[in-house]
Parts: sequence; C-alpha cells; structure tokens
Amino acid sequence: MSMIEFKDVEKYYGDFHALKDINLTIDAGETVVLIGPSGSGKSTLIRTVNGLEEIQEGQLLVDGFDLHDPKTDMNKIRKNVGMVFQHFNLYNNKTVLENIMLAPRLVLKRDEEENKQLAMALLERVGLADKANNRPSALSGGQKQRVAIARSLAMKPKCLLFDEPTSALDPEMIGDVLRVMKEIAEDSDMTMLVVTHEMGFAKAVADRVIFMADGQILEDSSTEQFFQEPSNERAKKFLSQVANH
Amino acid sequence: MTDFINALTQDNLSYLLQGLGITVAVSLLSIIISLILGSVVGIVMFEKIPYFSSLVGTLNNIVRNLPLLLIIFFSYFALPQIGIRLPVFWSTVVAMSFFEAAMLSEIIRGGLDAIDKGQFEGARSTGLSNRQTMTHIILPQAYKKMIPPLISQLISLVKDTSLASGVVLADLTFRGQVVYAQNSHFIVPVLIFMTFCYFIVNYLLSLLAKHLDRLLA
Repeated sequence: MSMIEFKDVEKYYGDFHALKDINLTIDAGETVVLIGPSGSGKSTLIRTVNGLEEIQEGQLLVDGFDLHDPKTDMNKIRKNVGMVFQHFNLYNNKTVLENIMLAPRLVLKRDEEENKQLAMALLERVGLADKANNRPSALSGGQKQRVAIARSLAMKPKCLLFDEPTSALDPEMIGDVLRVMKEIAEDSDMTMLVVTHEMGFAKAVADRVIFMADGQILEDSSTEQFFQEPSNERAKKFLSQVANH
Repeated sequence: MTDFINALTQDNLSYLLQGLGITVAVSLLSIIISLILGSVVGIVMFEKIPYFSSLVGTLNNIVRNLPLLLIIFFSYFALPQIGIRLPVFWSTVVAMSFFEAAMLSEIIRGGLDAIDKGQFEGARSTGLSNRQTMTHIILPQAYKKMIPPLISQLISLVKDTSLASGVVLADLTFRGQVVYAQNSHFIVPVLIFMTFCYFIVNYLLSLLAKHLDRLLA
C-alpha cells in the first residue's frame, strides 16, 4: 500500500518553478533517502508531504488524503505524519518533557498518566531521560534533535519526515542522532522519508535513494544500485563530489 | 511647610484621593479593554488575512497618528451628536481604550512577528490547530517579548488619563487644578502630591512588569 503518492506535481514560488513534474510513490514501511545539491527542491518536496508547502498542480496523496483538495483537514494528516526539522523547532517556552507531551495531550487526548509514561520511555530511548525537566535552551544541538525525534514519535505516526536532521549539528553530535534514526528505521514499520547529505546513513538504512536536481527527480533506484552504478550523469557527478570529502 | 499643611487638609486630601480613584478606575478599565481589543487587532494584522488585515492595519494607522486629546474630544462632544450619550467617565474609557488598542496592537503584532517561524512549523507538524499553536506556543513567547514595551505603553496610558481633565473628568489632575485654584500658595504642594500619586501608580505597574517577566521566564 502506498503511503505517499505524487502524481504530476508542480510547485511554484511566484515565478520560480520549484518542483517539476514530480511522480513518486513511497510504500508504507519503506525508508527512502532523498539527496541532491542544495537548491534542488528536496526540502520543498518533503515539506509538501505534510502541507507546510502547498502544491499548485497535480495530485499528492498522503495516507489516503488528497493534499491538494482544499477540503482536506491538514491536522488529520499531520497527526499521522511527523516531521523532524533541520533547526529542531522545539518549543522554547516548554520543558523537554512538555515538548513531547503537548501534542498527544491536545490532539490525541491521550490519558495524562499514559502520556507521561510514554514520553519518559521515549526520552529513555533517545538517551535523554535526565533532561526531562530542562528547557531546550539548556541542550546541545544533538540533544535538541533527539528530543525533536522523540516529540514526533510520541504521536505514533505512520510516517516520519526528516528534513536535513543533521545539517545544523557539530560533527561529533551527528553520530548520536543518526544512531537514533537507524534504530527507528530498523525497529519499526514506520515509513521514513529522509533528506540528508549523510551518505553512510543512506547506504546503511535506505531501501531506496532518490536523487533530485533543479526541482526534478533524476534518479530513483534501490540503494545498492544507486551507490554502485547510478544511471544519471548528474547523480554520478554528485556522488563523486560528496565521496571526495 | 505651612503651605503643605494648609493645602493638604483632610477635606482636600480626600477630594484629591477620590480623583486618584477615578484616574485608577479609568486606567484599569482602559487597560483591560485595550489589551483585549489590541490583541485581536494585533493578531488580525499578524495573520495577514487577504484584504481584511491590510484594511484593519490602515484604520489602525490612522487612529495611532491622531492626538489622544482629539479622540477624547470626539468621544465626548461628537458621539452625542450621533445619538450616543455617555457620562464623561465612560466617554473617556471609550476614547482611551480605542486609542491605546491601536498603540498596543502594533506592539503585539511586532512581538508575534519576532517569533521564529520554526515554532509554528514545529507545532503544526505535530497536528496542533492554528488556535492551539497560538495559545500554547506563540502567544506565551510573544507576550514575554512584549512585556517591556507593553508596560511602557500602559504607563503612558495612566499618565494620559490626565488629558481627560480637558473634558472635565474629575480625575486627579482636574481636582488638583480645582484645589490650587483656591489659593496660589497651594500650587506647589498640590503638584508635588499629584506627582507622588502618579509615580506610585506607575511604579506599581513597572513592579508588575518585573514580576510577570520572572513568571514567564
């Protein structure tokens, strides 16, 4: 069953054509990594999936809902589609624990005791149980991102989107975040769509790799095939450039 | 010293303190109404609803650029002409609330604009509605940023109630004038007493600001 389905999707920012003729299907349970040079539209694409960006033409089905239909209630989709951002976007006015408990309380009306237990269990899982009562401002970037992941998981989403989750982190913080993401990919049947520059992570975790440039999908292959022999010239060039670091 | 004793007799003091009571009452009512109205207008301007927000913004700009005294005159002298007759106390409250709401709304819009867009996206991405996002995430953070300019504006409001003595609202300023009109020796003692009263009220407001600041920290 497909979780995300783009059909002939076009996206414009004014005159700028940000997404061109996107056709893409991601099945439930798949882990897909989206790579490409900056400005290629990969962040725009992932942000359309939970309605943070609108599309102008085509059809975008997420979890059976048509996102281009103005009658669709975005909050229903977002309940099932979590997102982890490059800059974490934790609530500055709430403690770590409250960051995790807020949406389940307000949106899912989860029982308070159960909510707290689950939030603490998630913090345990990302290794930050001792930070439960801290404000986000007291955490390092890597810790913030792990809290943000726990916040998304608390909604028990069917699908989790990661928009360059490690790009704003110091190198020594990246490992912890990737480890948590790997565990999620391996232990759960959640659909994951990840925009990243971490090729090691892509190789280890992804079922499929999608390469984008200039708002188009240029390659959509299995992970092995992509890293061994990409068919697209620009993908080849991109891989050789990132491999040389 | 004898001037002080002669000026601030028990009768005069209680007359002046009643005026202070009216000043405080007008101020408090205007603060409450203008905070509510100003929040609504500020949020409307912030939300950028097509046409509506810019219309509200333009009207707001007009009100903000008028002298308060003109608005007080308008509500006291012009409203009765169109059939709305209010006692001077209430016509002052209406004028103050109207004018201060316009001033406060810009502070509120500015405070909301200062919140990182990521806070919205973080909240919306977990399924919170627009209203839940505003009440739980955005407004608490925005109010904290707004407290210093809000309190400055509210202190201005308290002081500006004295303008209503021009439409014979029997507030502290008006009553002060009445008392020292009896005897020119009373001018200095009465003005010093009035200074003291305004200072205390506004100092309490700034203490409240400090307290709120700590509370929201």
